[in-house]
Amino acid sequence: MKLPTVRFTEEQERFRLEVRSFLQKELEKGTYETKCDSWLSGSNPSFSKLIGEQGWIGLTWPKQYGGQERSSIDRYILTEEFLAIGAPVAAHWIADRQTGPLLLRYGTEEQKSYFLPKIAKGECYFAIGLSEPNSGSDLASVSTRAEKVEGGWIVNGSKTWTSNAHDAHFMITLVRTEPFDGVKKHNGLSQLIIDLHAEGVSIVPIKYLTGEAHFNEVFFENVFVPDNRVVGTLGNGWKQGLAELAFERSGPERILSTFPLLEELMAELRRQSDIDGLTQVSKLVAQLWSLRNLSIGVAKVLEEGGEVAIPAALVKAVGTKFEQSIPEIARLLVSTYPRKDADRKLDRLLAESILHSPGFTIRGGTTEILYGIIAKGVVAG
Amino acid sequence: MSEIKDMLIDVVEKIFKDRVEKETVDLVEEGKWAENVWSILDDNGMLAVAISEEAGGAGGDLEDLLNIYRLIGKYAVPIPFVENTFANYLLELEQLPVTNHKITYVVNLNETLNLNDDQKVSGALSNVPWARHADELVAIAKGNDGDYLVKVSLKDAIVEPNINLACEPRDTVKLDQVNVLNKSTKAITPEKLQRLVEVETAAKIALMAGAIEKVNDLTVQYTKEREQFGRPIHRFQLVQQHLALLAGETVIVRTAVDNMIAALVENRYQDEVLLTRIRIDEAIKIVSTSAHQVHGAIGVTHEHNLHQYTRRLWSYRDEGVSQSDCSKIFANKLLQSNENLWESLTTVKKQFQTH
Repeated sequence: MKLPTVRFTEEQERFRLEVRSFLQKELEKGTYETKCDSWLSGSNPSFSKLIGEQGWIGLTWPKQYGGQERSSIDRYILTEEFLAIGAPVAAHWIADRQTGPLLLRYGTEEQKSYFLPKIAKGECYFAIGLSEPNSGSDLASVSTRAEKVEGGWIVNGSKTWTSNAHDAHFMITLVRTEPFDGVKKHNGLSQLIIDLHAEGVSIVPIKYLTGEAHFNEVFFENVFVPDNRVVGTLGNGWKQGLAELAFERSGPERILSTFPLLEELMAELRRQSDIDGLTQVSKLVAQLWSLRNLSIGVAKVLEEGGEVAIPAALVKAVGTKFEQSIPEIARLLVSTYPRKDADRKLDRLLAESILHSPGFTIRGGTTEILYGIIAKGVVAG
Repeated sequence: MSEIKDMLIDVVEKIFKDRVEKETVDLVEEGKWAENVWSILDDNGMLAVAISEEAGGAGGDLEDLLNIYRLIGKYAVPIPFVENTFANYLLELEQLPVTNHKITYVVNLNETLNLNDDQKVSGALSNVPWARHADELVAIAKGNDGDYLVKVSLKDAIVEPNINLACEPRDTVKLDQVNVLNKSTKAITPEKLQRLVEVETAAKIALMAGAIEKVNDLTVQYTKEREQFGRPIHRFQLVQQHLALLAGETVIVRTAVDNMIAALVENRYQDEVLLTRIRIDEAIKIVSTSAHQVHGAIGVTHEHNLHQYTRRLWSYRDEGVSQSDCSKIFANKLLQSNENLWESLTTVKKQFQTH
């Protein structure tokens, strides 16, 4: 498993500074507030529209679909800048990260020209439809089913842990289009684009332990989905879903969810001229730097169409543990009291980090499942 | 790396694969000199890598050198290859004549020699690698007006043998009014000295990274061969956790070292050596713990070769610049800098010149 080293070009460095200065200005204007875990819990449609106006959603997509045809390294830089400053990008996140690449790879021309420009404008959001009440990591057990009818499919079942379904317009939903085969469990699964405002769809919020509801349970009761909303090949949903996961697992969002807290911690230690505290912070910086190399290396391989399942799983397994470690170390280095509505930024970011932390190592594949994938990979390799 | 560089590394790795067995490494523990390993490398011109052809060397650069050091670490090659080549690299870097004799070096800031106005050197250095087998030594000496890089003959020194945890020679060298060899002194600025120490730290990091790779390889192999309860142990989820941790640390270190080397040779160096040095300490802790746990009782016996690598890791991490030294240096930089953390992580500076 050898990953390339990436050196940013001067043009890319300029792009980074352009994004940074935009975000800094909007922050100063009060358009948003720095937040930890902003990519999942910071949903702000008007901010997403603003980002769309900048041309910063679907950055790598073809121009004909509203993209900018820029490199995935540019997108990597953009994503890093959003997360480092804790900007509220959750509304368009899934559509930009997963739906776009999935449709570009498997979608029909009609799907691409209908959905992608809307997504790029920051006006159309998607939810992920993988997990079900009784199938978290074991996706082969998906039981939401679609039956063929004239002109389309009738869907029954439910999805759960669906982030931002309440803000989203559509969901790429993994459903069973053939009867369950106990031996070939991954067969007969397909991906359908379901309109979340269609008749028969109900969305029930799941309260997170913070009291907020980013997750939802989504129920389908005889929901009609027209034929033109099937993504890719019928029965190929499992393979398509796996390709989606590689994009999901290795990005900066698996490293930087609690970065705003680390930044504030360092600022506080600096104000106190606490050299011992900064010495501890240096270990976190070394962790971050090394993980970032790994994650950028995976992005580069992804861009070149290489195989990244194992290193992507590694980034997520190690990166999310790192994200979790930041609040645990921060609270030992400075005197603080975590409060969600604290006036003091450090206290607020610490509260957000502590309360959101348990999710980091669960969402997008639990650490335990990832460890299994990695171990099998190294034994086979 | 270019194809030629890849080829060089392949050739060297093949030599080590063929010639360096556990028993070869055992020779060091018995206090012997592995002449056959030394002479293969000498015959292939490897002892002169990264020395320019004008100076009688084999050509190549710091990137080649560091990548060969990874292999030295990966095969626990039981000769002072790093010491010999790096001492000559330092000499050439400072435009001093390189040597054909066996040579070792110390560029540790904690211990230095004294240089008086008659160009005579005095003092004691501890943990000098392989001094008993070397003819010459490159070290830092303090003169009246600053620091010097000096080369002395070890024939003029008292060498008291000592060993590190892996039983490699780490001798004490005592010098009393010894002449520097062929006028080999060169004044170096404090900034330059810092950089020499950092490049030396990069060399140690490369060695450790190689040993980490081997510990990972040995462990993966072992889990395929060893059966318990009727199946190979890699099938057990708790063993898989160790494998995942090992693979993670190995890839993190490999990528960090690749990035560190790229930064060094492309002259866009920032803090890559410091950060890699800090990070590798964590990797050593995780890798050595998990590897021994997976190997069970056999891994802690002399019969198995796992300990040849873990004992080297436990030695090397406390030689030269340590993790805590690097953390303190980095903390001071953070304190003095005007940039926020994200700016300092993402700013590219071009400030490091190796030549």
